[in-house]
Order: sequence, then structure tokens, then C-alpha cells
Amino acid sequence: MNAAEELKNLLPGSVVSTGLQLNKPMAVIKKEELLKAAGKAKEMGFDHLSVITGIDYKDHFEVIYNFFSYNKKQNLALKVNLDHDKPEVESLTGLWNGADWLERETFDLVGIKFIGHPNLVRILLPDGWNGHPLRKDYDMNTEQFVTIGENGDDVVSTDGTNLLRRK
Amino acid sequence: MESDELLINMGPVHPSTHGVLRFKLRMDGESIRECTPVLGHLHRGTEKIGEMKTYLQFIPYTDRLDYISAFPNNYAFVKAVEELAGIEVPLRAEYIRVLTMELNRIVNHLVSIGSLLMDLGAATMIMWGFRERENALQLFEMLCGARMTFNYIKPGGVREDIPDGFMPKLNEFLKDMEKRIDDYEQLINGNEIFHMRMKNIGVISAKDAVNYGWTGPTLRGSGVDYDLRKYEPYSIYPDLDFKVCVRNEGDSFARFIVRMDEMRESLHILRQVVDNMPASKEISSAKYGIAPMTGTPTAVSSYFPRIFTPPPGEVYSRIEAPKGELGFYVVSDGTTKPYRVKIRSPSFCNLTAIPSLVTGLKIPDLIAAFGTIDVVLGDVDR
Repeated sequence: MNAAEELKNLLPGSVVSTGLQLNKPMAVIKKEELLKAAGKAKEMGFDHLSVITGIDYKDHFEVIYNFFSYNKKQNLALKVNLDHDKPEVESLTGLWNGADWLERETFDLVGIKFIGHPNLVRILLPDGWNGHPLRKDYDMNTEQFVTIGENGDDVVSTDGTNLLRRK
Repeated sequence: MESDELLINMGPVHPSTHGVLRFKLRMDGESIRECTPVLGHLHRGTEKIGEMKTYLQFIPYTDRLDYISAFPNNYAFVKAVEELAGIEVPLRAEYIRVLTMELNRIVNHLVSIGSLLMDLGAATMIMWGFRERENALQLFEMLCGARMTFNYIKPGGVREDIPDGFMPKLNEFLKDMEKRIDDYEQLINGNEIFHMRMKNIGVISAKDAVNYGWTGPTLRGSGVDYDLRKYEPYSIYPDLDFKVCVRNEGDSFARFIVRMDEMRESLHILRQVVDNMPASKEISSAKYGIAPMTGTPTAVSSYFPRIFTPPPGEVYSRIEAPKGELGFYVVSDGTTKPYRVKIRSPSFCNLTAIPSLVTGLKIPDLIAAFGTIDVVLGDVDR
């Protein structure tokens, strides 16, 4: 029995299905129950949150959490499916400090809201950027320019006529 | 004693931030009350580029993530693609890959230690480190024509075979390097000022380090015996003899010593690779690889199928890069381009802990603690 099936036995109401992410056990979790399932995974010994991946599938979003256990030397992946109109899921920052920036990055680039995150602001792009670049409907044709405002903050605009640019 | 709060802006152009990183510091007198890193000055949208390029076209972009050690970046992405498509790699190619990656690990640690010492005010080590690095870069140049951005490892194998005259030069490097590491230890390890700057600075417990998602030498400096090469082995690492370097103190000095020890282990691995290198000239898989050099340079790349479509699926594949766990999450939808490429970069995840690490310390301690985390901003901002 792999780790995903083990989790299903412990939380039959939260796990929708189990399967494989190529060669790693993966469990699909109900989106309301993610925090509970991740907490249970941490109790099972999965102490390393490796990566959080958000994917835009045009009709829905997926968020995938890859865990690893240093004691058991095992992998586990959890996946949640989110509505495209309302991409929201609970934050794991209470369980893993490392989730902080990973969730901010996913918010910044994919536009998924993590409920309960203490400081959910953009991390790689400046505040005020329009759109989330890793969404499939992101507008690639509109150029955006970043300048420094009066108080030192970044100012984003779509008007590049005032910039010093090589013709 | 109460003093006024002072806001200090450190970076983005500051020599000890190793690139373009900005710290916003709230100071209470001389000690740091709050440290907020501001990222993104080098953000190039590599993940978005990944969705717009074919699998083969994306490999050069991975070179530009962690540009100090680009071979492991190449390999991490290629490994994900090979797992997706189920490509077999000949043994000689795997040996060459490990050879390049371990050489790159030495280069990375030389730069890391050199720049750390320079930030602390000792200029000798960076001169010495760059002297040895130059020899390694010349080896890379012999191998693939490039010194820092290689585009050398391809799905199914490597691009070119080892050229004549490479092995003797490598052996010379290995022999030389052994003595050099002794020199470094003599120069640095006993230095009292260095001890005072490094010991008990930026201490993090094993539990916290795991909780923050630390990996690589930084995690091993906190006493967690973990190395993907050992415990989730890939390539030819199961056949190689090496030990995982661990220190228990969890301070900046421990992280520094782990890097020194790892250079010796890499030399040990390299000697085994040189001794056991398979004699066959097969450097790429029959189905997907690049045919060996036949004399005309154009023949090299033309053997890889123009239309390469891995079956639909998703994979998270990770390796032990010099800075920590480097992972690629690749989703294929059966077309020639990946549907999504997510990069889990060690620098980004290791940097998460810096605010908690330096709160209450002074600015020179921030430089020491930050130097031992060893980030490259191309890898942080992607």
C-alpha cells in the first residue's frame, strides 16, 4: 500500500481518488479538505514540502503539492481541482513556513488565492502588474513598463512613450 | 536603551547580494529588527518561455537559471523529459553527465566560498578560487565549446563525446585540486577572525530548516543527513562510493565546512568516474539521441527527431544540484511543447528563511549568513 492509499484509509471523506504521478503516489483531495489532508500527511511523516505547482487547464485550475518524508524516504503528491471562476484554496503557511513564498509565487504567476496566507502579495512581479502570466488567457501583446515612483515604489503602466529607449 | 527606527535599503546593486537582490531593513540602532527581501529584479519569465518553446529549444534557457552551475540545470530538465518519454540513456553518457555535474559542483563551491570570504573582507580566497575555476572552465570549453552556458546534456545522452586530450587534463586538475583544498583549509579554517564572524551566526535548527524547505548543503549544515544522490539515487550514483557530509551546529560555519567537505567528496567521485568510464563510444540513445560525431558538425543535431512528442502525462523530477534540490515539474499534453514547466529552484526556497535567520543580528552578520546560503539571483527570480 502506497502513501496515497494510506491517506485515503485515514481520511476516506477527504480523498477523492488515488493514483500515480508517473512514479510517485498521488491523491486527489477535495478542495475544502486540503488543510486537513495536508495536516494528516505531516503527521504521517511527510515533513518536506518540496514544491507547489499551479496549472491553468482553461476550464479549471489544478494545484499540486509535492511532499517528501525524510524518515521514510517516500514521496507523496496531493492535488486539488479548483473552479476557474473562483480559484481559492486554503493556505498551508500554518504547517510549513516554506509554503509562504511558494504560495506567493503561485498567486503572482497563476493567480490562485490562498485563504489565510498572512501576506499574499506579488513576489516576482511588481505590485500593480496586470494579469497573471502563466494563465493561458494572459495577454502577451500588451507591453507593460515599470518605473520608479516618487516614493520609491514601482509604478506599472502600459504607456512606454516617456521611457528612455533606444529607437 | 530606546533608539529611533531607521530604514536602510540594501541593494539591489550591492556586491554582497550576489546579483540583484534588495533587502529592506528596519534597524533598531545597529541590530536588524525586520528584514524584507524584495525579489524579481532578474525575473525573465522562464516558465512562460518554457510553454512557448519545444522541449529541445528550452534546454538553453535552463542554463541561465543558476549560471554558476549550469550542467545540473540541463540535467534536471532533461531527466524530467526522459522520465516522461521513457528514454533509455547509454552508460557512457551517464558517466559523462555525472563527470560534468560533479566538476560543476566544485566550481560552484569555489565561487560560493570565494565570494563569501570576499564579503567578509578577505580577498585572497576569491583569487585562489577563480584560479582553479578557470582550469575547470577550460575543461568545460574543451568538452562543449562553452564556459558557462553549455546546452550540452540532451534527452537521450550528451551532445558530443569527450575530446582527445581531455582526460589527461582532467587528471591533472584532480591532482592539483587535492592540494589546493588543503591550502584553502590552511588559509581559512584556523583563522580566528573568520571563526568569530561565522560561529553562532544565523543558527537554524534541523526542524526549522526542514520546515522552511531548506535543501542541499544548507540543510546538511543543520544536521539532517539527506542527499538525493544517496537516498533517491539517479543516473549512476548508486554505483559510486561517496559519503554525505553533515554538520550538526546549524550555523554559518557549519554550512561553510559542509561545502569544503563536499568538494573533497566530488573529487573522490570524479576519480571513480574517470577509472570506470565505459570504453564504448555510444553517447546517446539509438532512438532519441544525437548520433556521434561523424566529421561534419551539421550531422550532430540533425539526428534528434524534429517532431518530438512525449506521451501526455506529468512528472516531478528532482536532483541534488550544488545549491540543493532542483526540480522540474513538466506537464505534457502530447504536443511538441510542454503544457507547463514549473521550476523548483533551490536558491528561491533556501532564501525563504533569511528574514527569520537574521532578525536581531547586525548588518555584517546578515552578509555572513546570506553568503553561506549561497544563492544565485538568476535561480531565485527565474
